[in-house]
Amino acid sequence: MAYQKRPTSSYQPCDTFFVESYDNAPAPRMDPKEHAKFIARERQYAIADELSRITSDEFREDIVSHMLDMDAATLPDVESIDIQTEIQWFMRPYLLDFLIEAHTAFQLLPSTLFLTINLLDRYCSKRVVYKRHYQLVGCAALLIAAKYGDKKDRVPTIKELKSMCCSLYDDDMFIQMEWHVLQTLGWTIGHPTVDSFLQVAVLDTAYDPEVEHMALYIAEIALFHREFVSKPSSDLARASLALSRCILDRPQPRHTEWASQYDSMTLVGLSQQLHQPSQVLSRKYSSTHYSRVSRILEQFLARQASIATYAPPSPPSDMVTVESKPYEGEIGLATPQKAPHPSNMPHGYITPPITPENDVFVTGGNSYIKVAGTSACSPSPTPPPNVQYVSGHAYPQETAYSQQYLQPQMSFNAGY
Amino acid sequence: MDITNNTPLRTASSSSTTRDPIPQIVSPKFFLFPTHSQPRPTVVSASSAMDKQPSSFQQLEKLGEGTYATVFKGRNRQTGELVALKEIHLDSEEGTPSTAIREISLMKELKHESIVSLHDVIHTENKLMLVFEYMDKDLKKYMDTRPDRGQLDQATIKSFMHQLLKGIAFCHENRVLHRDLKPQNLLINKKGQLKLGDFGLARAFGIPVNTFSNEVVTLWYRAPDVLLGSRTYNTSIDIWSAGCIMAELYTGRPLFPGTTNEDQLQKIFRLMGTPSERSWPGISQLPEYKPNFHVYPTNDLGVILPQIDPLGLDLLNRMLQLRPEMRVSAHDALQHPWFHDLPQLQAQLQQQQQQQQHQMAGSYGGMIPPQQAY
Repeated sequence: MAYQKRPTSSYQPCDTFFVESYDNAPAPRMDPKEHAKFIARERQYAIADELSRITSDEFREDIVSHMLDMDAATLPDVESIDIQTEIQWFMRPYLLDFLIEAHTAFQLLPSTLFLTINLLDRYCSKRVVYKRHYQLVGCAALLIAAKYGDKKDRVPTIKELKSMCCSLYDDDMFIQMEWHVLQTLGWTIGHPTVDSFLQVAVLDTAYDPEVEHMALYIAEIALFHREFVSKPSSDLARASLALSRCILDRPQPRHTEWASQYDSMTLVGLSQQLHQPSQVLSRKYSSTHYSRVSRILEQFLARQASIATYAPPSPPSDMVTVESKPYEGEIGLATPQKAPHPSNMPHGYITPPITPENDVFVTGGNSYIKVAGTSACSPSPTPPPNVQYVSGHAYPQETAYSQQYLQPQMSFNAGY
Repeated sequence: MDITNNTPLRTASSSSTTRDPIPQIVSPKFFLFPTHSQPRPTVVSASSAMDKQPSSFQQLEKLGEGTYATVFKGRNRQTGELVALKEIHLDSEEGTPSTAIREISLMKELKHESIVSLHDVIHTENKLMLVFEYMDKDLKKYMDTRPDRGQLDQATIKSFMHQLLKGIAFCHENRVLHRDLKPQNLLINKKGQLKLGDFGLARAFGIPVNTFSNEVVTLWYRAPDVLLGSRTYNTSIDIWSAGCIMAELYTGRPLFPGTTNEDQLQKIFRLMGTPSERSWPGISQLPEYKPNFHVYPTNDLGVILPQIDPLGLDLLNRMLQLRPEMRVSAHDALQHPWFHDLPQLQAQLQQQQQQQQHQMAGSYGGMIPPQQAY
């Protein structure tokens, strides 16, 4: 996996189970020896890419079709989970937070997290789970997923899991539950995860860590929501990727590519869930290891909000006003009467848009134009009819479709 | 204390589409405190999902030791069907071994005539028993019992190689690397079928192919790129093993019987020629690469394999390429002209086998009708 192979900082710093913050991990200085190693590693990556390309060319079609079959065969059934008597949907995010922290602490592969949640939900689709065992099922799922995909020395030991659960469960209970999950799922563990489909989807485009990390972040946000539990991973992967490209203002792939065939309703659904991600998740993705995509997303959403709120009923005739008087918009947000449709704001935007960073104030105009440029980027609302964007941010024609679907959500129009 | 709850969830009943409730103010660790006071829901119909018991199989003689298990011949007490029982001892400390999880879940995905089929998984107190279809012998034993030091005839070799490559191609199409192909892991039966067995080291790969452990494949069948420390190998490592096996089918002896990693590389280079950055761009970047490898010239494989025909030699050369990029894929190998006369050869072979089988069935005293043995 490209994003595994090329960490920007070697590993996520982590020496405790629950990490406070990944922020500001200083980039290690390289001595010449390290540098030589780095070069060698880069060349190995190049060789690996070449090898990988050969395998892909040869088997891609077969493998993708097998993955799609397996995807359909290993979906949890959300309506069965609904009828659980003890465990409730509101409990699930807490368990997910716990599993994400454990997954990070053990430095497991990205796919292990998706597989864990898949195993958990599939088990809960089939067996009655007591509230007091919910966490145990989650741990057993994590254990199985790690054993399936991760290197042996990374697989958590039962002792470690036990201590993470504050010794709530005995060693024996983990073993029993692991076995019971395996048996309940008929030993069918090979669920193709969202991230494995993501890798397929980005295969034909140049390596862009930011897009991949953002897509991964969106896909992990989706893990928290009931509406995506029974969605095929392939749909989630393509929709997350398309949304990620919108947010980061990257061109969408051509229509002929597999990645471009995303379901726009899924994409709309995902875009509605970006506003209040789990704290654990947004902290995880605020590290440089993940290109700080949670920050990027926050900033993006804040800009969206300011644009939506700013757009006055009778706006000035062109966007230059918006660009030249940037902060009015944000100040405007603080004055409710200026907002055109305050009652329609989803999730009620309680958090004000982030304060502009200092350098924006200092360097003034120049750097601001840059910001404004990005603000007009992808899933930004189509401006109200009488507002015209000056910036030539024309989408490639293919993306008009997605833009059209995205628009209502992101621009908080009356319809929502 | 039995924590496992076999109660299946009952579906159907009006499942109202509830929205995600907004998280209440609940202690994030609420589930850490078991609520024993809550009444247990009455357990409906007990253990309906339980698998077969080990006692439903009669254990016969030991067939061999696998990488992490013992294999016995067995008989289904109800049907009389012969099976292979693979017993895996469970580590009481860490639960089900990862090898077992991978092997079972992958074999459940891989249903193919050239792959041994997994019938059942039985779990007892301290062991896991996998019930496989019964095969008569592994290829190693089969070759050992042959006259002429295990050399096989042309038709059998071609048929075995075709089946081996079909099995490999199916694995690769289903994104599985076997990673431990060797004669001991290829199983054959009296019908002349060859099937891939022992997926204990197998694993699923993604696209792009991830990095893996290089502690795979029995030394003699390990590809040079893996020996040189590459962790980014792909499907081509199974092809190298297949090439080694093909040569072994002709000579009855392993092609590269190395003793250590270095010795193994040396044996390969002595025959195939020592690669250089010119013949294999990027080789010097591999962790185990030494600039002072003894330089051997490339030899003609035909010299050590006088029995092989030119087409077979061509296929073998394509499989035993040092550079993984150059190795033929299983799919392309199956299209190789060497296999073109296989149907005719197979017809002949089948005739021979039918005769043999007839004789064997006689010698068993009709105890096991041949068609039931499989």
